[in-house]
Amino acid sequence: MADTMNHLERGMASLQNKPVDRLVTYPLAMGVCRRLVGDGKMTYRDWASDPKKFASAFIEGQKHFDFDFAIGLMDLSVAAGDMGSTVRMDDQNTPFVTDPALKTVEDYETLTPPDVKKGRSKVLVDGTKLFVDALGSQVITAAFLEGPLLSLTQAASAEKVFMDMYNNPSAVHKALKTITEYNANMVRGMGTTKCAGLVWDYLWGSYSCLGDKEYEEFEGKYARGLNELTGKEGMAMCIHNCADLPHLDTQIKAFKPAIYSMAYYPLIPGSPSAKETIEKGYADNCLIGGQIDPQGFVRWSQEKMQKTTMNLLQEVKTAMCARGLHSKYCIASGCEVPPTVTTRLENIKECVDTVKQYGQIKC
Amino acid sequence: MVKIAQVAGFLGSGKTTFLIELAKILVDRGHKIAIIVNDVGEINVDVRIVEMYGLKAKEISGGCICCQIAGNFANTIAVLQNTFHPDLIIVEPSGVAIPWGLKRAAEYSEEEMDGEVIVHAPVITLVDALRIDELIQSVRRLVETQIREADVVFINKVDSATQDKIDMAVKFSRSINPNAEIMFGSGKNNQGVREAADLIETRTSPRYDESYEKEMLKKEYGRKA
Repeated sequence: MADTMNHLERGMASLQNKPVDRLVTYPLAMGVCRRLVGDGKMTYRDWASDPKKFASAFIEGQKHFDFDFAIGLMDLSVAAGDMGSTVRMDDQNTPFVTDPALKTVEDYETLTPPDVKKGRSKVLVDGTKLFVDALGSQVITAAFLEGPLLSLTQAASAEKVFMDMYNNPSAVHKALKTITEYNANMVRGMGTTKCAGLVWDYLWGSYSCLGDKEYEEFEGKYARGLNELTGKEGMAMCIHNCADLPHLDTQIKAFKPAIYSMAYYPLIPGSPSAKETIEKGYADNCLIGGQIDPQGFVRWSQEKMQKTTMNLLQEVKTAMCARGLHSKYCIASGCEVPPTVTTRLENIKECVDTVKQYGQIKC
Repeated sequence: MVKIAQVAGFLGSGKTTFLIELAKILVDRGHKIAIIVNDVGEINVDVRIVEMYGLKAKEISGGCICCQIAGNFANTIAVLQNTFHPDLIIVEPSGVAIPWGLKRAAEYSEEEMDGEVIVHAPVITLVDALRIDELIQSVRRLVETQIREADVVFINKVDSATQDKIDMAVKFSRSINPNAEIMFGSGKNNQGVREAADLIETRTSPRYDESYEKEMLKKEYGRKA
């Protein structure tokens, strides 16, 4: 069926739970879209180091796939790298930390906020501005930042941070305060790009890793301030969390994001499916995004991608109608579509096209 | 057929020592062993130690397991298999990894290997008896996750821990995963490692894809397949 609303109309209606011509969709295809630029040989290193190249992938991705959103995820090592961690930048692989900057308790305590006008922090802000300028009149745009605890675990290694939460909590808090200061500066920087929203990656809000009390102590109290600042800087606060057992009561009901992006792990007892998420009221006041397996975009046939998307649409539509909702779900991947050269671009298109064809909802 | 053996456990649980002793025993029994380390931050140290013993070691790293690491891990297994041809690959995942996620990623490697099939050995989670009370307080959730997904809980460092601590580790493990087999030993003194090697050689653990299909059928039809 042909679309009768444009992307902005549909996106805005979905955020307000108004009727739509079809559900919104955004497979989280960021780095992979560099393959659509020029001769298709842009390296990941170039893409993640040059604002123009970073933005060009979103612009070409939009032309090719006709998404409803554009969200500026680069990778999870931006802040850690600017804190002094060694980041390996392969040609066709997501950059990642190979030598964390923070190795001792003193390192936590002496950490200073990275300058957001230097390094890849600046690339991220400048690149976000470029794609927002190009796409902001077509789709809902958003910046993407790692939350304080995620940045710290990238800069010091996760196991070390988790042990230090117990052994050296005051040092961990000192580092988190410093990173929050950096994050606040990044929020202000992103505010100047005029993006409509800002997505926080609050990955450690998972019951596999932290209970409510620990999460509140080591991320919640920092996140609340950043969430508030995000709104003050004119951006809708959104959250991405691809963990297996997300803290939905805190991150959706208490934090009140406009959009919440999540994954589904069918073999983990208690991992919330799309249906359960809607049934339990988490989509009542928040646009939920998910939950197609990101690896499906690499591994599946187009037929399987279509079938999976159709199954998810059916599940979501049935649950939303039962809940009295019109449009509070975005058909998306539960995490970033792998940006590797083996990702099947046709599967991204298949997902979007299937939503266009079968995403109409009438209760 | 390539068998994958995960040795999970939190930082300081003695994974690397256990893994080296385990690999040496399996090599003596005629197996061709490769080791994959997924331990961001400490990776190079572990790889060097492992390679001192003449075992083939590969490292993996990256973003999060559901998108990026899964692909890297699958590719690493396929490269090892296509170049080194091990019959057993031992994986030392990061203390924050989810065993089911690594099983899934391992099975993806089948697409990149010539007709080889992935079989999983029992997932062994090491629990540090010496520091059990500290672990329960500091990283309880993470330790619970690893025990929950274990086929075998190996209470490690029993040669140094008090009986009270050992009992506490057993009680804690049983409360989370009553179905897991409990073993006792010390990687450092090669205690119990031979028995763990026996399990890896003779037993298997369910595949992700089969379990996933069963779960999907259950969800679709409201019953077990």
